Parts: sequence; structure tokens; C-alpha cells
Amino acid sequence: MRLITIGIVVFLLGSCSSGKKPDEQAFLESLDSTNTAGPGVDEEVINSILEQIPSPIEISMLLKESGSKYNETILNSSNNLPKYNSNYKKALNLGVYGTDLGYTNIFGRNQDGIKYISSIKSLADELNIGQFFDIATIGRLATNSKNLDSLLLITTMNFNQINHYLQSQSRDNLSVLLLTGGWLEAMQITCQTAAKNPDNAELIETIGEQKIILEQIMLLFTFYQGDENMAGLSADLDALKKAYDKININYTYKESTMEIIDGVAVIKDNSTTTIDITKENIEEIKNIIDQIRTKVIS
Amino acid sequence: MSEEILKALTQLFAIISKQDGGVSDNERGFALNFFQQELEKSAVEEYLNLYDSISGYHEQTGKHVDDRSNQPTSVKDSIRTLAICKKINKTLTQKQKVVVLIKIVELVSSDKQFTNQRMEIVNAVSTVFNILQEEYRLIESFVVSEKVSSLDFADILIADAGNEKSAPLQKHLHAHVDGHLVFLHVSSVEMYFVKYLGKDANNLNGFIMKPGRVYLFSQGSIIKTPDGGALYYSDLIADFNEEIQTIKLSFKATIEEFTFRNGVVGLRDVKINEGPGKLIGIMGASGAGKTTLLNILAGLEKPGKGSIKINGFDIHTDKNKVEGVIGYVAQDDLLIEELTVYQNLYYNAKLCFAKVPESEIQERVMKVLRDLGLDHRKDLKVGSILDKQISGGQRKRLNIALELIREPAILFLDEPTSGLSSRDSENVVDLLKELSLKGKLIFVVIHQPSSDIYKMFDKMVIMDTGGYPTFYGNPVRAITYFKKATNQVDSNRGQCEVCGNVNPEQIFNIIEARVVDEYGQPTNKRKVTPMQWHEMFKSQFKPSAVEDTREEPPKTLQLPSRLKQTIIFTTRNFLSKISNRQYLLINLLEAPLLAILLAFIIKYKSAPDGKEYIFRYNENLPAFMLMAIIVALFMGLTVSAEEIIRDRKILKRESFLNLSWSSYLFSKLAILFLLSAIQTFTFIAIGNWILEIQGMTWSFWLILFTTSCFANVLGLNISAAFNSAVTVYILIPLLLIPQMILSGVIFDFDKLNDVLSTKGKVPVVADMMTSRWAYEAMAVHQFRNNEYQKGYYDYEREESRADFKSAYLADELKNRNQFLIDNLQSKNDSIQKLISINNHILYIELINEPFKEGIAQLNLKDVFVGAGYSKEIGKQLESYFDIYKKHYQQEYNINAALIEKKMSFYEQQGFDIQREKNEFFNESLSDLVRNISTKERIMEYNGQLVQNINPVFQSPKPKNTFDYRTAFFFPEKNFLGITMTTFSFNLIVIWIMTLLLYLTLYFELLRRFVDIFEKVNLPVKK
Repeated sequence: MRLITIGIVVFLLGSCSSGKKPDEQAFLESLDSTNTAGPGVDEEVINSILEQIPSPIEISMLLKESGSKYNETILNSSNNLPKYNSNYKKALNLGVYGTDLGYTNIFGRNQDGIKYISSIKSLADELNIGQFFDIATIGRLATNSKNLDSLLLITTMNFNQINHYLQSQSRDNLSVLLLTGGWLEAMQITCQTAAKNPDNAELIETIGEQKIILEQIMLLFTFYQGDENMAGLSADLDALKKAYDKININYTYKESTMEIIDGVAVIKDNSTTTIDITKENIEEIKNIIDQIRTKVIS
Repeated sequence: MSEEILKALTQLFAIISKQDGGVSDNERGFALNFFQQELEKSAVEEYLNLYDSISGYHEQTGKHVDDRSNQPTSVKDSIRTLAICKKINKTLTQKQKVVVLIKIVELVSSDKQFTNQRMEIVNAVSTVFNILQEEYRLIESFVVSEKVSSLDFADILIADAGNEKSAPLQKHLHAHVDGHLVFLHVSSVEMYFVKYLGKDANNLNGFIMKPGRVYLFSQGSIIKTPDGGALYYSDLIADFNEEIQTIKLSFKATIEEFTFRNGVVGLRDVKINEGPGKLIGIMGASGAGKTTLLNILAGLEKPGKGSIKINGFDIHTDKNKVEGVIGYVAQDDLLIEELTVYQNLYYNAKLCFAKVPESEIQERVMKVLRDLGLDHRKDLKVGSILDKQISGGQRKRLNIALELIREPAILFLDEPTSGLSSRDSENVVDLLKELSLKGKLIFVVIHQPSSDIYKMFDKMVIMDTGGYPTFYGNPVRAITYFKKATNQVDSNRGQCEVCGNVNPEQIFNIIEARVVDEYGQPTNKRKVTPMQWHEMFKSQFKPSAVEDTREEPPKTLQLPSRLKQTIIFTTRNFLSKISNRQYLLINLLEAPLLAILLAFIIKYKSAPDGKEYIFRYNENLPAFMLMAIIVALFMGLTVSAEEIIRDRKILKRESFLNLSWSSYLFSKLAILFLLSAIQTFTFIAIGNWILEIQGMTWSFWLILFTTSCFANVLGLNISAAFNSAVTVYILIPLLLIPQMILSGVIFDFDKLNDVLSTKGKVPVVADMMTSRWAYEAMAVHQFRNNEYQKGYYDYEREESRADFKSAYLADELKNRNQFLIDNLQSKNDSIQKLISINNHILYIELINEPFKEGIAQLNLKDVFVGAGYSKEIGKQLESYFDIYKKHYQQEYNINAALIEKKMSFYEQQGFDIQREKNEFFNESLSDLVRNISTKERIMEYNGQLVQNINPVFQSPKPKNTFDYRTAFFFPEKNFLGITMTTFSFNLIVIWIMTLLLYLTLYFELLRRFVDIFEKVNLPVKK
């Protein structure tokens, strides 16, 4: 019995003396009067902006069509997962990984895809949105490589659901981050691919087109200036915006016409958009995107 | 007697008889007689010649008789005498020297020439022989005296027809003897001599006693008078012994019939009445019930019909009156093999004599060891049968010593000579005889005794097949009795006339003699059946009456207090453990080896990039924790499972001491708990170190130690209940595998057979498993209190609660409300049923809901339990659920933001959050305790909503004060209105289970249960 008592005493002492961290009180005192409530942005507004941001899948499709080769080094390695501890990082990188998953999907790199699914599931769980991933189903599908297509499809669809869900749960900041992360990664992939295929006009055009998207994203960020992290990211995006400011997008409006093709009436949009973009512009954008993304994924 | 000694004696005889005028014919006749007794005819002449030449028999024939008296002893003769005596001194035992001295005195007295010179020489001889002066005088008077009245010594006993002593000190025995039989007791060597003064032809062991001659009255001797009276050695000894006469002891056994558990009759009609100072043998064919009889006499078994009484106290009903009176030496060794001879005895003595000071205990131990010739072996380990350190005889003697040291009044021994050499056997029985002479009553089951041993017994009980007693009386008489009964020729002779040997085998040859068929082949039929023998016995023998004293029997036992007993037991136990190197080594190395093995195997490069080991991503942690618990259980069980079985024999012996069972158990527990503490500590310290589980060593240790202690007590229970170690080891899987099945880790509690499982609660059967409590405590404690999680747990808990309410519960309740609205008018039975369920669920959820904005005025009981629900209320509730959802969304966001803030706060303070999380937090464990993989995060079970996700963030909702049940991995438990952390609560539960097991152990419930079970399963077969 004496030994037990000694054991308990030592145990108690041991557990008391390890308090090297500042205590709860210190933390509570450090909280200033800044309100912790949400930004109070109208959901509708956010939703309308979010909907205009292209899905990462769309960008990836473009890449595939451009004939470029699969390059896993331009993706965010799933090994970086341990680094994401705050919700801010988690949400951003959930978006990043979503894009990476789509990229692997398009190139049929299923093995890499599985890794991303696992990372995505992990981040989603921590963000309390794990219910969109039925791990049992995923596991079952993953045992057979023939199922991988459907597996990836499910995951991608889940992404859209998560976006909507977060918005409905008043956690739109996460939704914004998720999309931003996805967009950043898509930009990164596009820029990197474009750098290797300088003659691909379509890629360059796509990069140019993102000027509009960026403006909208930055608009969204203005709602969250109270959030330290988001304000910081917003500042980084400002630098990108400055680079984009050097690009002009000319939109020439022409009335639409209706033609009959094979007995069906088709409305033809005759407006044209021209983008003035130089190689230097692309280079600059690529570098800034690279900087921001590095910050995001590290 | 060796030639050398005989020569020396001859010279001595001659020198003495030569003094004072030379040899008389009487003296020479005495010497001749002596030679004839000791030597073959051919050698007699040679020795007689030697005698004659020294004594100068032939030279003196012409000399005158008168000048005898004044010649001084020649210097030459004196020196010669001394030299001879010294020679004798070196070769003869003290007993033999006493015999020699008596012979010499007899020689002198043969001619009645007690001149100074002669007596001087005799006196000198006695001095050289180291015989006390007083004793010499006693011997001299005994040999010389012809008058009874002149023998006034306490060591003289006169048996004659008279009723009075003739001198005040001497002892007297009434017997039908013509003249007197004079007995001498030489106390220094415990020998008896007899001399007859009278005219009858008395018979000593079948030989005619010459009047005036001194005979050695050896063990088992009988003197028979011509008219048939007999004087037995044992009776005389008892009369001599004052000690015995003052001892008040009566032993009365009446066994009418004893039946075994299987219905077979073991003993019939046994009556034994004895007093102090007797050595009683029990003999019988195998299966005659010798050991059974002994066990019943010793009180180990109840005598069925009948009683065993010591001084009138029944040994079963008046237990405390006869406590410590009985000693029992079983046939098997009852030694603690790991201890030395000395330690075995010492701790036994410590347990018997509470008030004797330490130095005296040590002295007593040494004395007993010396008495038994074990003193030079005292520091040897007893060792097992296979690893013998001391001989069989020594073991046996030590067994007896264990009983001797506390000097019980009645001692029972089961075949103390089996497996011993004839010399060892004799030593052992000698010892017993000596004890009986000190007044002890000793019962011995003996098998094939030698003649000498057989004769040492005062009485013999002979049993025949089927438990029939066929003889009870003097051992030598037994032989004549059976011979007579079968009309054998020399039926009067019990022993060999020439050598005095008896052949106990004869008895069994007679008892078991078989009928011979016409071809001369013995058949299976016995000439005399056991029953016939028994009838014959009953008709001829009446048990002698023994004075019935109603005093408490003598005892020397002083039991120490319980605490002291515990300390003594523990020390003894401890010493025996540490002296067993193998045991110690295996037990101390087992844990660290297992820890190294386990931890080494399951440590892998767990980081997502597969380059290094990161604790956070070690997916084996949950399995490691389960294994740690299984190891603790296993080590705890194996270490204790044999403890009591191994001690069972020792316990049997110590049961006569009535030592405290709880002290014994406490001593076991003290040692086992200490061992468990060390084992679990080394295991978890090494395991945690290898797997880099930080900050959890003491808490994990406490859990494992508790678990191991539980297993210790469980092991002791089975050890106390079953007979063999094999049974116990077979039982271990039966005890351990359910612990694994129902640990909650291998099989999900929600996916067990529906008979067992309760959704949302740990099944009751699992609550009986230590593994489940230990695992839960460990997992929850690690998750909740690790250095990383500690800082966020409370916020994450709030966050999780809010998330569940906003994301799942709000919609669930809203849907159920919608159902109520939609089916308000329905009369359909099945719908009515659903309505009542939904009512119930909404009621339960809302009544416990702190946030009631918008429905604060509603009387919920009225609405859901009564019939107060209406469409309006339904709509009101509908909008309430929208606000409810918003409220908790906000709540969630607040907490999520707080967590973020806290992280950045810590980061500002210079803490590396990522490093901390990698070191202290484990993803797999987190997934487990948060039940991430569940498909149904919310479910309906038995009319209640059950939250399956995040058990580790939930709080118990007890139905009543006794409702301790929660789902697995709840962070807190509620019982009797007290909320405790799972860690403390579960530990308390295991300790309570341990305590309960201790109680079942203390009352030996399992053993009793097993006994009942055995009875039921062994149908009576005859």
C-alpha cells in the first residue's frame, strides 16, 4: 500500500509540475475586445460571388486538353498534412488538395489520388465536415483500382456539397478559404504548365481571365478584414492584383444572332473578349502566385 | 561389539577381578557367562584365556586367601585401566558405556567383594566414561543392592504385589509378581534396566530372567509372569516419567461410520482412547483407510457419524479450545522449497510464538535443528524434489521439526518413513519415541516397519480392507494374537528367540491369507474376511478407558496479531521469492522484454512522407494500449495463479495453527502488488519511451497497475479454488479472451449481438470487464490530457456540442416536428405510434435544452406528454428550431474562433504548435475516441436520440442517480450525483471489482462453488 501511495503522490507531483504553458487565465486576458462573432455579411452576397468562381475541375480539364504532361511536383504533397493545425490553414489546404485531387483524377493518376482523398478526409474531419466522406464507402472503393474513377467523382462532388454546407452553417469564411485555396492551386498549376508550354495561347488566356475572379475573391476578403489570417492573405492577394492591373481585358459587345442548325434554333453570342497579356506579365503572376501558395501550403 | 572393545573389556574385567587377592570363581564364572553371551563357542576359549592370563587366575590357586585385602593396586594396573578406558571412550557411545559400567559393577558384585581397590577402579572407570557421580552411585546401588528398601532414588521403580512404596523417593507399580522387579532409569542416556529379585521364572522378551541379573529393558520389551501377567515397556516408561503424569490429556475418537463423498464407506466402528506419552502406529493393507483414519483423527476431515474429542472438547465444534494442540505432518513435504532449512523453521516459529523474544526463538530453532541433526545443514536451501539440496531423510526430519518446534500435544504423521533409508527411518521414529516419552501423544501411519521400529510403538492400530479395525494394542502382542487366531504352532512367540526380532509382515500374511483351491493355487477369496476379523477383534478387545479431563489441553501456541502475522508471512514470502532466481528473473524481465518486443515491432516511419517516426501518426497506438492492458492482465494472472496452489500443503499444515487467512492473503497481495507495480512500471516506462508517448507514464502506469492488481486477486481466486496448476493455466484463456472480446477495441460495442448491446451505451456484460474500464480510462486520459490537447479540449468540446446541435439535431428535431404537424389528424395506429415516439423525443430533447428562446413560455410537459400539441405550437416550434440552429452555429463559430485565437496566443508565447501536436497528439486515437468513422452520427434507439459522433466530447446524461452508464469514451461519468473524470471513475470501478474479488477470495466462494459443482457432476457409483 505504501508503494501505491508513493506512486500516487509522485504521479500528482508529476502532473502538477509540467505546467510550463501559460494558463487559461493568461489566454483569456489576452483576448481583447475584438468581437469574435461572424462578419455579418449577407449570405446571398457571398453565395453569388462564390458561384462565379470556377471549380478547380474546370481548370484542370483545360490543362489536360492542352496536352501537357502530368507533373506531380507542382502539386502540394499530401505529406504536408501535419503542418495544418489551424482552421484557416486546414480550410485553405482542403481547397488546395481538392484541386490536386482533380488534377490527378484528370490524368488518371489514381494512386496519388488516394493519398489526397485520405488527406482531404482527415482535414474535413477536423473541420467537422467529415460527414461528407463516408470512409467505409471510400475504403471499399479503394480496394479495387477499377473503382477509382467513381471514387474520385464522389470526392469531387462532395467538395461542392461541403461548400454549400459551410455556407448554410454560417461558416462561410471557411467556404471562402476553401475556394481560395482551390483557386490558388489551380492558378499555380496553370502557371507552371503555361511556363512549360509558352506557346499555348489558351492557357495564357485562362490566366488572364482570372483577373475577374481575383477581383471577386478580393471583394469577398474585404468582409473578413477582422480576421487576422484572412487579412494577411488579402494583403498578399493585393500584390497579385497589382500584377493583374497591368493586364487589360477588352470586351466588345455584338448583338447575338439566331441561327437554325439542323432544324434547331441556336443563339450565337457574337461578343468577343481580347486580353492583352505579355510573357512578362505571366512570369510576374506566376512568381507571385508561387509566393502566396508557398505561404499557404507551408 | 568389536573385537577390540571386547578385548578391552576382557582386560578391564581381569584387572578388576585381579585386585585384592585375585579372581574368585564367581567372577570368572561371570566373565565366562558374558563371553558366552557375546561370542561364538570357539572364541570363548580364546577370550577366557586372555582373561585368565591377565587376572592371573592360574597363578593364584595356591595362594592364601587372607592377604587379599591389603595389597594396593599396582601402578601398572592403574595405568593399564586408564588406557583401556580411554580406548573404550573413543569408540563406544555413551549408552554402550553405561552398559559396560553396569557389567563391571555386576562383575564386582558377583562375588560381593566390594574392596576399596576394586571400587576405586570401578569409580575411576565411571569418571573416565564421563558418567555423573550421582548416576554412578544410582547404578551401583541398583546392581549391588538386594534389598528393595535401600533403593531410595527417584529413578528406581519397583514392581511387586504390594501396594506401598518401600522408600519415599522410589516409584512403585502394582503387579502380580513374586518378589520384586526393580527397574532403573538412567536419565542421561534415557535407558532402562531391569533386575529381578525373587524366585519365579519371569520371562523377558521370551527369555527366562535369572534372579539378581541385570537386563537391559529395551524398547518394546515385555516381561511376562508365569501366571500370564504382562508388563509393557511403554507402561513402565509412563510410570517413570513424571512429566507425563502431570500432563492432562485425553484423546477419544469414536467413528461409527465414515463415508467418502462418492458414497464408499471408508471407516467403520473405530474407537481410540489414548492419554499422553504414547506412540501409536497405524498399519494396514493399502486401501484400508490408514491415511483416512489419520486425517479424521487429526480433524482434517469430519468423522461422519462420530466424534473426536480432546479432553472432552470436540475438535470440530470447540475449535478454539483445541487450537494449536494438534500437529500434522503429511506424507508429502510441506516445505517452502525456496527457503533455507533454517528459514523454514524460523518463520514457522515466528508464527507460533508471538510472545517469545527474538533471541529465544532463534535459540529454539537451533535447538530443534540440533536435536534433529540438521544444524550443519541449516543454511542449505530446501530445494524441490528435482533439485535436491538436502537428503530425503533430512527433508522428512525438517517436516517433523516444523511441527516439533511448537510442541503440539498431539502429533499426527502420515508415513514419515516412506522413501527413507532404514537408518533414516529409525532416526525419525527414534525421535518420535523420544517425544512421546516427553508426554506427547503421537499417531503415525507406518508402512512395512522394520522389527526395531515396530517394537518402538506403544500401541498399534491395524486396519483391514474396507476400513475395519482388526487390532488395537501392544505391537508384539499383535503378532501372537493373529498367530493364535489362525492356530499357528508357535503362537506364543511374538519375537525371534535368538535375535528378538519381530516380523510385522507376518500379520498381513495372516490377515490376507487366501483360500487355496484344489490345485494348490491361491484364489481371490480370503480365508478370513475383514468383517470376520473385525468381529473377532470386537469380541476380544475392549478399548481401555482413559481418564477424561475436562481441562483445556496443554498448548504452547501464542499466535501473533494479524498485522504481525501479515508481516511474518510477507517476509517469508518475500524471501522465498527473491531466493528463487529463475522466478525473479523471469518475472522482472518479462515486462521489459514484452515492452521492447511490442513497442519495437509497432514503431514504424509513421510520418505522412514515410521518412521518420511521428507519434501523432502512429496508427498502432490504440492497439498498443490494448496490448498493454492485456499484458498487465496476463502478467497479473500468471504471477498469482499458482500462488495458493503451491502453498496449499503448507496451508494444510498451518491450518492447525488457526492462523489468520486474511493475514496470509494480505501477505500474498503485498508481494504480488509490489511485483505488479514493478512489472507494469517497467513495461509502460519502456513502451512509452520507445513509442515516444510523452507525459503519460504515471497515469498509464496507474491504470496498468490497477489492472494488474485486479488480475492478481482474480488469479488468487482461481488458485484458491482449483486443485492443480494445470487446471488454473487452462482457465487463464477463459478469463482473458472475454477481456479481449469485450474490451471495446477489437469489436465495436455497437456491433455486438443485439441481446447484449445497448446502442449508445457500453453493454452491461462489457462493464464486467476490467479491460474495458482500463482501456477507456487510458484512451480518454491520453486524448484529453496530453500536453497539446489540454489547451483546447474545453473549447473543442463546446465546439463539438454546438456543431452537433446545429448540424444534426436541429434538422432532426425539425423533421420530427414536421411529422407531428403533418399527422396531427391521423388516426392510423402505426402513425399514432410514431407520433408518440416523436413527442417523447422532442420532449426529452427540449426539456434538457438550455437555449429556449421563443418557446420559454411553452409548458413542454403539457405539449408533448399531455395532449397540448397543436398546429400553432408546431409552427412556433418550427421557427424555434431555425433560431436554435442559428444560435448553435454562432456558438460553434465562437468556439472555433477561440481555438484559433488560443493557437496564435500560444504561438506568440513561443510554442511550436505543430511540434507539440506531433509529439503529444495521436490521430488514430483521436479518430477512435471521436468515433469519426461512424456512419450514423445521430440515431434513434428505444425512443431516444443517440449521438454517436464525438463521445469524448459529450457529457453523461444519467437517468437516475445510479445510472453510471454512458457510451464508450465519454470523458466523464456520473454516479450518485457526483461527476468524475473517466480516469478516476474507471480506476475506482476496477478497485471496487478488485475488492469484491478479494471478498470472494476471503470467503472462498469460488472454491465452494467448485465443490458444489464437483458434487453434482460425480454421480454416486458403487
